[in-house]
Amino acid sequence: MHAICFTALLLSMLTAVGLAALAGIKALKDDFGTVPLLEKGQLALTVVVVVVSVVLVQALAVRDFSYAYVRDYTDTFLPLFYAVTAFWAGQNGSFLFWYLCVAAMGWVMIFTPGYSRMDGRTKVFFWLFLFLVEIFFLYALTGPSNPFLKLDPVPDEGRGLNPLLQNPGMIFHPPLLFLGYAGYTIPCCLALASRLSGNGREWLDLCRNWNIVAWIFLTAGIILGAWWSYMELGWGGYWAWDPVENASLIPWLAGTAFVHTSIVGRTRKTLLRTNVFMACLTLWLCFFATFVVRSGLIDSLHAFGGSRMGVPLLVFMVAGFVLTLYVCLVPRKDDASHLDEFISRPGMLFLASWLLLCLGGIVLLGVIWPVLSSLWSANPVGLDAGFYNRVCLPLFAFLALIMGLCPWFGQKSGINDKLGLGIVLATGIVSAAAVYSLGYTQPLALLATASGLMIVVSVVATFIRTKGLRSFRPAWGAYGVHLGVALMVVGVAFSGPYKVEGEALLTKGQSMNVGGYVVTFQDLRHDHDNPAMDMHEALLTVTRDGRDVGQLTPQKRLYRNFEQSSFAEVSVIPSLGEEVYATLLGFNETGAVSLKVSINPLVNWIWIGGTLSCLIAFLCWRKIEPR
Amino acid sequence: MTNAKNQKWVYLAAVLLVGAGVGYLLFSGLSQNSVYFLNVSEALAMPAEKLAQARLFGSVAGENIVPDPASLGVSFTAQDKDDPAKTIRVHYRGAVPDTFKAGVEVIVEGTFNPQTREFEASTLLTKCPSKYEKNEKGQMRPPGFNG
Repeated sequence: MHAICFTALLLSMLTAVGLAALAGIKALKDDFGTVPLLEKGQLALTVVVVVVSVVLVQALAVRDFSYAYVRDYTDTFLPLFYAVTAFWAGQNGSFLFWYLCVAAMGWVMIFTPGYSRMDGRTKVFFWLFLFLVEIFFLYALTGPSNPFLKLDPVPDEGRGLNPLLQNPGMIFHPPLLFLGYAGYTIPCCLALASRLSGNGREWLDLCRNWNIVAWIFLTAGIILGAWWSYMELGWGGYWAWDPVENASLIPWLAGTAFVHTSIVGRTRKTLLRTNVFMACLTLWLCFFATFVVRSGLIDSLHAFGGSRMGVPLLVFMVAGFVLTLYVCLVPRKDDASHLDEFISRPGMLFLASWLLLCLGGIVLLGVIWPVLSSLWSANPVGLDAGFYNRVCLPLFAFLALIMGLCPWFGQKSGINDKLGLGIVLATGIVSAAAVYSLGYTQPLALLATASGLMIVVSVVATFIRTKGLRSFRPAWGAYGVHLGVALMVVGVAFSGPYKVEGEALLTKGQSMNVGGYVVTFQDLRHDHDNPAMDMHEALLTVTRDGRDVGQLTPQKRLYRNFEQSSFAEVSVIPSLGEEVYATLLGFNETGAVSLKVSINPLVNWIWIGGTLSCLIAFLCWRKIEPR
Repeated sequence: MTNAKNQKWVYLAAVLLVGAGVGYLLFSGLSQNSVYFLNVSEALAMPAEKLAQARLFGSVAGENIVPDPASLGVSFTAQDKDDPAKTIRVHYRGAVPDTFKAGVEVIVEGTFNPQTREFEASTLLTKCPSKYEKNEKGQMRPPGFNG
């Protein structure tokens, strides 16, 4: 089966090369009769990748250790659910999954109404670019990242899945990211194809839904990753500005900027070249993100080590970027662009997009700084988390401020609704004063909180004061996303600077005081009945001002196959206000435990806002009439 | 026409203003949050006064790991990854991660004390085992290890 799957992928690659060559030649000759053949080719590629994926999933499910990949990421103790999801636990499988998504989305594209509106020339170019992307993945899967390597003799037992990944948050974090990355392939190929075939700006309408779906997946992936980091890693935070986290944020920032430039492009018939560039930039940054994670170039806390995918990823990304620059820089007659007044909605969208791109640039600079600095410094110089907090957070707060004010600006110029703007500004001033008087005086947190509340009021007031908006479904989506973002902004503004934490070594009956909460260590329990792990659990009671707040049961687990290191299982007392969070750092023979306890104010609003943003964004979906 | 021209200036001014703000933030961030990324041998080769703030990469030597229960911290000897003969004594205060033990690769952040020639660490991180690769014995392979 291993050889059959490998051969099928190899044949897929040869087919894709043939189809890309055919599409290229036909595009040059202005002959569009081959479109049905190209579509059938895509169907064939999709069928092959679906079949080989099913084979791999089946092997994972029955723990067929003759597959090196199955041996590396599962063992017989692993529950079936985690065994199947090990499909994307390793590099080889995750590339297969990514390619599966790209191929499936390319196939789905054929049946969309948007596709039926494309002319033959655009379709031929579209398939050319999509096949080129698919060739890259097929090269990876048949060369440096082959998931069908065979082991001989077959081992009796696998190595097991990393316990940190045995968590629902981590199981769905990678596939969501890959779905997002794959989703951005369609807008990019469509943008390049439309520009080369001289097709104005209709592509912005056609790829709108793809863009939204890709954005939702990427956003959900990032938020789930942050939540996992908070609930599973036990360090008390959710975002450490580690290169691997930053890597996925960079395409998100570009993709979010693209969402906004495409609104200006569609509604104001301008920014044509900018939008082509943004669509492509987003996709190339997705590859950059994978490059950062996979190349081992950047020393990250959880870099995945040097792999043979670094150079291919770099070459592909640079080639794609150069092609994009070439396509965008060759002028066309319909490039004429105009700018609306700065004080207008398009003006603010333009400013917001610039800020998002700046943020992307800053994060990218921070990630590659150790590499860049080696140009002038004998020893690499890196940037700590303080750099990102200092540089990025003010810009995010400014962005939130613009978000609150933007709805009151006119479509072409000036201010649309002075009363509405007044209400929102008053909200900002009053809320800032109220928050300040409660003792939360940190200026940036104050600005962010006021901006967040301004967005909330702005969204609600816009729906009350604007006629016709309530019956327009995509508006619910767009404003709903901003409402979610507002909740996240407030959550970050509080949970960042106003978190209180403490560490202590406690014996039974002893207490520690963290931010007004008294945490008492009651008991340490030991559970060794579970064959997959050995577990110690501390029982803590929490009181505040003598009132009972709840119990915490942080655990320390030793997993089979991973006996060298123990894993902390966090325990929280969930709250929409102050969440009490405890990690069991260790314990000794005398029964004393060392604990880390933190009080995280409003942290859950980040997850609520994030979930709201991702779900409600589906309302932005707009039906496209087939031709 | 004049209006469009005026708008260009408004946009230019806005871009310059935002650019200046971003530039200032970047400058202050780069000048205040830069840390040297050093292996143990590189740190030993550098003049101590340049090491006010540094991130040190090394592995934990097998001997002389002294836990300090009072501060929850630990003192240990960090070895150079390539040349184990080169070592720096590290004092760390704070919670010791689960994965800390002899032989693991660690990253410590803090300052180098020129008098004692020892490293006072404020953070101690072991390379995160979320890395998906493993070595032949089924143990976690330290990241950056390409063998």
